[in-house]
Amino acid sequence: MLDVKYRQTNSPSTITMKPFFALALAIASSAASAQTPATNPMPDGSRDMYAGLGAVSRPRYEGADSHKVSALPVLQVQWSNGLFISGMSAGMHLSNRPTVEYGPLLTVHPNRDESGSGNIVDGVGLTAGAVTAMRAQNRLTGMQDVSTRLEGGFFFNYYLAPEWRLTSSVLFGAGNDRDGARMELGVQRLAVQIAPQHTLSFNAGATIVNADYNRAYFGVTGEEAWQSGNPVYRPGGGIKDVRIGARWNWALNPSWMLVTNVQATRLVGQVRHSPLVERPTNVTVSAAFAYRF
Amino acid sequence: MMRRAHLTACVTLLLTAGLAVAQPRAGEWVNYRDAYRAMVLFDKYGGPKNLLHNHLQVLARDKGALGQGAQLLMKGKTVQTGLALDALGRTTLPLLKAAYDENAVLTPNRALGGFSIKPRVSLALRADGSYDEADLRAACEQALGFARYADNSARGRQCVGVRLVFPKDGEAAGMRVRAGGAEQALPMARGAAFAGDADDDFPVVTYRFGAQPTAQLVTYNAPLAIVPLFE
Repeated sequence: MLDVKYRQTNSPSTITMKPFFALALAIASSAASAQTPATNPMPDGSRDMYAGLGAVSRPRYEGADSHKVSALPVLQVQWSNGLFISGMSAGMHLSNRPTVEYGPLLTVHPNRDESGSGNIVDGVGLTAGAVTAMRAQNRLTGMQDVSTRLEGGFFFNYYLAPEWRLTSSVLFGAGNDRDGARMELGVQRLAVQIAPQHTLSFNAGATIVNADYNRAYFGVTGEEAWQSGNPVYRPGGGIKDVRIGARWNWALNPSWMLVTNVQATRLVGQVRHSPLVERPTNVTVSAAFAYRF
Repeated sequence: MMRRAHLTACVTLLLTAGLAVAQPRAGEWVNYRDAYRAMVLFDKYGGPKNLLHNHLQVLARDKGALGQGAQLLMKGKTVQTGLALDALGRTTLPLLKAAYDENAVLTPNRALGGFSIKPRVSLALRADGSYDEADLRAACEQALGFARYADNSARGRQCVGVRLVFPKDGEAAGMRVRAGGAEQALPMARGAAFAGDADDDFPVVTYRFGAQPTAQLVTYNAPLAIVPLFE
């Protein structure tokens, strides 16, 4: 998730409030993060919308050693009633307190096939040419495809201070059997203004999943082992990954914004030892222009 | 190598396009929607706030760039208005659906070298210039209630006093405290009106609660603002 927040300060002698806004991009990571933009109070009947396009370099699938560069559509819409669409997620803010956010959340979990994972929302893939040459060593060859899934759940975010947000979400429905569940926990340092119209933000987090999720995306059944040559692997649940990221937002003018994001993710626990994982640590880099409507 | 070439090409394209659409006076504007979001929090707050004022403050990067006649211009398709800034760079932002829907822009009427905005809550001023400590304390408690509503980190804080901010060119020394039949001048200092302000050259008087609960503050020149102090 890429989001933008104006720093909010507080001091013993002043009361300050939260001038923030959030922009989330439809990053087609192999496991799309649940994206919950900050509460956005606005006049009744109004909406705040960003749309745009950019590029993302990401692992071919979670744990892949190879990367691919793809087009990156950008979409975030928030309505006055609390509904939002943010990248591959949609939900609704139900809290009327500025220090707590919660509500239902829906997320599209990208598919994964032999070529890799992640159909991008309305995206046009620009796969790097090296993929064909790697097919002979493709660990997904012979593995069953995992279909795109709509996950449902809820989110809860808590502001320790205006510039520090703890985030969490729980989602169910991933995997071919729709029995995969994941919980994302994170902490965000909201935008630090480094110059007029330039802000930096930082985040860190972890994903905890159940055994069904891990088996759907990182396990190898007997049949798959026979077809793919990968050894049988039946992981349990637990912490799947930890991640750290930074984003830079440059408001070019009142309508246009350039959003750049770098995120490093490390697969841990039983997932790390999956025969499908070629490289446990991967970096995703993206940049996109967004227009504010 | 191919991967790197693709990525480099993408980044180059993005940056080139970015420079093409960038405007020459970068930093000299703020989206009305962001200002609205900052200010509407006070409007939506349901607790007591009748003793408070809520302003939008313009913080200029260049110290001293604000001055007499400074304005914030609000420009949308149909909304066009000028918001006069006081000596502290504050104004009252109208909360307008039309300006929000038009994604109006706020720009200063003079170059400020870049600026940011902040919502600022202060205590309401009295026309007679006389303030009972009990009233100031009540107003400060209202401000603290709002601070706690907006910021979890304010939950452990308490009201400890107020800071009165006077015009730079005014006769600021005329402020006294009356208690038990005695009257005493309060010491004046130079400082910022609000924490984080670049301009720290305003005459200010800090009054801490507690010593004389029945005390009365008397100002002989109207302050620009009375700022609550939390610790």
